[in-house]
Amino acid sequence: MTDTLLLDVRGLDGGYEPLQIFRKIDLSLVQGASVGLFGPNGHGKTTFLKTLSGIIDPWDGDIFFDGVQLNRPGARGSRRWRNFNYDAITRRRMDPKAVARAGLIHVPQGNLLFPDMTVAETLSIAPYASRGRANAAETLDKVFRLFPRVHERLSHKVRFLSGGERQMVAIGVGLMAAPKLLILDEPTLGLSPKLRGELASAIQTIRGSGVPLIVVDQDIAFLEELIDTLYLFDHGRISRRIEKADMPTHEEIMKLMFGEDHH
Amino acid sequence: MTLETLNLILLGGIVLGALYALMATGLALVWTTLGIFNFAHGTFIALGAYIAWQIASTEASGAGLLAGATVSIIGMFVIGMLIYYLLIKPFERSPDIVVKSVITTLAGATILENVINLVWGPRNKQLSPLLGGDMSLLGITISRNEMAVVALALVILAALGVFLQRAPLGRAMRAVAQNREAAQLMGIDVERLYAIAFGLSAALAALAGILIGSTRFMNPSMGSDPLMKALIVVIFGGIARFTGPIYAAFIVGLLEAVMTYLVGLYWSPTVLFAIMIVVLVAKPEGLFGRYRKSV
Amino acid sequence: MRYSPSFARSSGLVPVLVVLAVLALVPLLSSNMYLRHLLVLAFVFGIVASSWDLSLGYGGLFNFAHVALFTIGTYAFGLVGQTLGLSPWLGIVFAGVAAGLVAALITLPILRLSGIYIILVTIAASQVLYQIIISQSDITGGTSGMVSLPALDLFGYRFNRGGKVGYYYLALLMLVASTFILYKITRSRFGRAIVAMRDHKYYAISRGMSETRTRLFTLTVSAALSGVAGGFYGSYMRVASPDNFGLGLLGLLLSMLLLGGAGTIWGPILAAFFVTMVSEVFAAYGAWRNIIMSLLLIVILIFYPGGLWALLQTFREALDVMRSQATASLRRRFGRGQREAMTGAHETMVATRHGRIAVADTGGDKPALLFIHGNSSAKEVFANQFKALRDRYRVVSFDLPGHGVSDNADPEKDYSVEAFADVAEDVLKALGVTSPNVFGWSLGGYIAIELAARGYPMATLAISGTPPLRVVPEDVGRAYDATSHFVLASKTFLSPAESRDFAASTTGPRTPQTAHLHRAVRRTDGRARAYTLGKLQIVDWPRQIRFLRSAAMPFAILNGSNDPFLNHQYFRDLKLEQWTGEPDDIHDGKHAPFLLKPAIFNEKLEAFLRAAEAASRRDAEAIAQ
Repeated sequence: MTDTLLLDVRGLDGGYEPLQIFRKIDLSLVQGASVGLFGPNGHGKTTFLKTLSGIIDPWDGDIFFDGVQLNRPGARGSRRWRNFNYDAITRRRMDPKAVARAGLIHVPQGNLLFPDMTVAETLSIAPYASRGRANAAETLDKVFRLFPRVHERLSHKVRFLSGGERQMVAIGVGLMAAPKLLILDEPTLGLSPKLRGELASAIQTIRGSGVPLIVVDQDIAFLEELIDTLYLFDHGRISRRIEKADMPTHEEIMKLMFGEDHH
Repeated sequence: MTLETLNLILLGGIVLGALYALMATGLALVWTTLGIFNFAHGTFIALGAYIAWQIASTEASGAGLLAGATVSIIGMFVIGMLIYYLLIKPFERSPDIVVKSVITTLAGATILENVINLVWGPRNKQLSPLLGGDMSLLGITISRNEMAVVALALVILAALGVFLQRAPLGRAMRAVAQNREAAQLMGIDVERLYAIAFGLSAALAALAGILIGSTRFMNPSMGSDPLMKALIVVIFGGIARFTGPIYAAFIVGLLEAVMTYLVGLYWSPTVLFAIMIVVLVAKPEGLFGRYRKSV
Repeated sequence: MRYSPSFARSSGLVPVLVVLAVLALVPLLSSNMYLRHLLVLAFVFGIVASSWDLSLGYGGLFNFAHVALFTIGTYAFGLVGQTLGLSPWLGIVFAGVAAGLVAALITLPILRLSGIYIILVTIAASQVLYQIIISQSDITGGTSGMVSLPALDLFGYRFNRGGKVGYYYLALLMLVASTFILYKITRSRFGRAIVAMRDHKYYAISRGMSETRTRLFTLTVSAALSGVAGGFYGSYMRVASPDNFGLGLLGLLLSMLLLGGAGTIWGPILAAFFVTMVSEVFAAYGAWRNIIMSLLLIVILIFYPGGLWALLQTFREALDVMRSQATASLRRRFGRGQREAMTGAHETMVATRHGRIAVADTGGDKPALLFIHGNSSAKEVFANQFKALRDRYRVVSFDLPGHGVSDNADPEKDYSVEAFADVAEDVLKALGVTSPNVFGWSLGGYIAIELAARGYPMATLAISGTPPLRVVPEDVGRAYDATSHFVLASKTFLSPAESRDFAASTTGPRTPQTAHLHRAVRRTDGRARAYTLGKLQIVDWPRQIRFLRSAAMPFAILNGSNDPFLNHQYFRDLKLEQWTGEPDDIHDGKHAPFLLKPAIFNEKLEAFLRAAEAASRRDAEAIAQ
C-alpha cells in the first residue's frame, strides 16, 4: 500500500509542549493526487503542517514520504526526572532539512521571507541545499514565466515588495527546490481579488505541470479546482474526508463544521 | 591644537577604529546570525594572540609570525565551532537561550582566561610586528605596523562583506539571520551554519588578537577591554546592516582618541559607556540600525 | 483576601528551624574560626544571591549590576563610617539606601528595554560605577580601595571580639531577616504581579499593572538588601575593594543564583552555602578552582537547569512517594474491614491501564450508579450514598490512582483527567457494567464529563462542585474563588496543617465521621495533585463543552449553595441545559453536599435518575411505535 502513496501520515500527535494542538491525524496522498485542508483558524492546521515539514517535532505517529520514513521511529522518550533537561540529550524525531531534501516542500503562511535580501538573492539560495540544484537555471526560467512580476522586481529587497509579490516569490522559492509535493498554507491570504485570481491561475499551472499539492485555504471554491480530496480540520482532529465527487458548497461546509448554532 | 596634534588624534583614532571594527564584526556576526551575545569573544581575541605567539616563537623567526597567524586563525575557527557545539547548541530549543548563553559564554570566558594563565603565565608578552620601522604620513611619524594593521583590517572586512553578499554560504548565513524558519524550510542546514558563523567569528577575533598583540602587550586578561569596546561598538552601530558596526567602530575609535586627548585616558571609558547607555535608551537599534524584535 | 498558606503552617517550617538551630550552635560547638568565616561569607552571599533572585528569577529582569550595587554598599559604609566618621550602624543602613537609590537611577534607562539589552546596559552601568569610584581616589582610595573600615560596636561590646562571633550572629540574623522579607514579597499580591509582568507582560499591563512601578520597586528592593549586605561586608572585612566590581565576583554570585535555581529564593541561599564550601575545597588549586566552578556551572545549566533546589525537591518527592505508597499498601491490608463497613460493599482490586485500583461494588443486577470522587479524597466519601441507594441501584465507586488504597502510578502517564477517565472505563468493563449512571464530584466531575464526551455509553450524567470549563486557564479564574483553599489543590507537599485545611474545606471539619477522609488527604500522592492540575490545559475542554451543550444526555448539577470554592454566578452564566433548568443548589451543602446533607442530596439524585429513566422509557416506546 505504501508504494502507491506519496504521503502517508499515521496517527500524528503534536503541539507546543505541554499543550497538544492536534491528535491522531491520518492523512494520505496517492501518487498524483492533491489534497486540501479546510478548517477555522486556530485549530491546528498550521501547526500540523509545520510538524509535517519538521519545524516542530511530532510527539507521536509516523510520516512516510515516497516510501521513506521521515521521522525517527519510536515515541518520545519518557521523562522520568522532572527537572532533567532531556532536550540536551535527546535527538529530534524530524529533521527539516532532510524533509526538504526529500522533496516535501512547505511554503508557510505569511511571507516574511528574508526582508533584507533581494529577490534575486533569495531565489539564488533556494536551490542551494535541495534537489533543485541540478536544474536551477531551468526552474528559474519557469518561475519567471509563471510570475512575470517577480522577474521585474529582481533587484529589489523583499521587504519593499507588496504582499502579493512576496507571496509569488515565496511560491517561486518553493518551486526552486524541485518539490515532489508542495504544501501551500493559505497562499491567497490577505490578497486583493485580482491578485488572488492571478495566484490561483499560477497555482493551477503548477498543479497542471505535475506537482501534487497540499493546499490550506478558507475559500472552498478556490480549493475545489485544485484538489481531489478535502480534509476537514476541527479542534485538532480530522473530522471528515470528502472526495471530489461530493465536494460541498461554502454554505454546506459552514453548516457541517459549525452546526446550527455557533458558540 | 596644532595640525600635527589633530593628525595624531585622527590617525590614532583610525588605528583604533580598524581594530574595533575587526573585533566588533566578529561579535556582530554571531549576534545577527544566532541571536546571542558571546561573552567569550574577548577571550577568543586573547587565545588567538597566544596561539599565534606560541607558534611564532617556536618557529625560526621570519616565517614565524605568518605561521603563527595561520595556525591561530584556523585553530580558533575550529575552537569557535567547538564552543558553539558545547555551550550554545544544548540550549537551541530553550526559550531563554539568550540569557543561558550569556551565562555559559561568561563561564566559558572564565575557563579560557584561566587556561591561558595556567599555560602561558601572567607575564606580559608581545608578538613581533607585521612590519618594522616607521613611516611618515600627514606630517607625523607613525609605525608602519599600525598602518599595516589598518590596511589588513579593511581588506579582511571587505572580503567578509563580499563573502556575505555573493557567496552561497554567505547568503545562506544572512538568510538564517533574517528568518531561521524559512531557511530551514529551504533545506539549509541551520546548525552547521551556526557553527560556521561561530567559527568565523572566532577566527576574526583571533586576527584581531594577533594585530593587538603586535601593537601592544599581551596578557591573559587582554580580552576584557576589547570585549567592552566591541560591545559599545555593536550597540552603537546596530546590527541591521553589515556595515553598521564598521562605521560605528571608526566613530568610536575617533571618539576615544578625542576623549583621551580632552579628558585623559582615565575618563574616556566612562564617557564611552555613558554614550552607549544614551544610545541604547534613545535608539536601541543603534545609530545605523533598524528596529527589530529584541534579540 | 486571597488564601496564602503561611510559612508557619507549611512543610518548610521544621527543616528551616532545624538548620537555623544547627547554624546558631556552630560557634558554640566549634572553635574553628575558618569555618565561622566561611559561614559568614555564605550568609552574606546568601543575601546577595537571594535578593538577586527577586529581580532576576521572579522579575525576569537581568540586572547584571546587582553585584556592583553590593560593592556600592561597602563603599557607602566606608564613606559614612570612616570618611564622615559617623556610627558604623548608620553606615550599614545608609549602604542599603545608597544601593537602592543607585538602582533606581539605573532603572530609569532600562524601563522600556528587554532581554539582552538590559544585561548590556547594566553591565555598562557597573563599569561606569567602577570608573567613577576609582577616579575619586582621595575619598575612595582609587584602585587600592579603602582600608581599616570601622568595626561594629554595640553598647561597648566590640563585634571584633571572640573571633568575630558577634558578626557571625549578626550575619545570620540579617540572612533570616532578608529571607523573611523576600518570602513575604514573593507571597504577596505584589510578588504575583512581578511574575505576571515577567510571563504575561501585556496581559498584566492591560489589567492595570504599571511596568514602571513594578520594575522600579523590584530592582530597588533587591538592591537595597544587597547593599545592606555590602555594608555589613565592609564592616566585617574592614575593606572596600574595587575588585568586587569585576567579573570575578559577578560570576561567583551568578553561579550561586543559577546553581541554586532561579525563582525559588531558597535555592540561591542553599547554593551560597554549597558554592562557598566547594570553593574552599578547591582553594588550593589556584586558577583550576575557577575553571572547575565554571565547568560545574555549565554542566548544571545544560543538564539540570532547575539547580540544587530542584534536586532537593526531587529527593523530597521520592521520599514522599514512598511514604504514600507504604500508607496505601498498609491500609489496603489492614483497614479493609473498616472500609467495607463504611460502604457496606465488597472491596476488590481491579487491574487497569493505569495500575491497580481499589473498587467498592454492591453488586447485583440493578441499574448501575458510578460515583467518582475528587482531588485527594477516597471512595468512602460516598458512604451515605452506598447505604441509601444500594436497594435500588448497583452502587460502584473506586479510588483514583494515587488515592485511597489504589496504588501510586507513573505521574507522566497516569495522573491526568484523561487517564482517570480510562481508569473508569476499565473498572466498569471489569465489573461487567453497561450504560451506568455516572456522578462525579469536583475533579471527579471533570472525569465524568470527559467519559461522556468521549462517547462512552452512559445513561445519565450528574456533577457536584465541578464548574464546566470552556477555556483554560482563563475560565479557572472565572469559575473558582481564589480566596478559598483552592491554592492547595495543586500542591505536591501538604503540611499537616495544610492537609487539615484542605480536608476541612472539601469535606468538613475533622470528626469521627470525616476522620477517614482527612486521613485520605494525607495519603494522596502529591504528584497526582500537581500533575493532574498541571496538565489541565491539555484536556479537550472544547469537546466537553460541546457535549454538554448538545444536551445529548440527561444532565444534572447538584452543588452545595455555599460551596467555598465555586463562583456560583459562573454556573448561571453558562446556561447549560440541565434537568432542573437552573443549578439546583443544596442548602448549606458546602463543597460536598452528599456528605453534609445526605438525605436531601440522595432524594434529589434519585428524583433525577428516576425522571431520566422514565423519559428514556417514553422515548423507547415512541420509537417502537
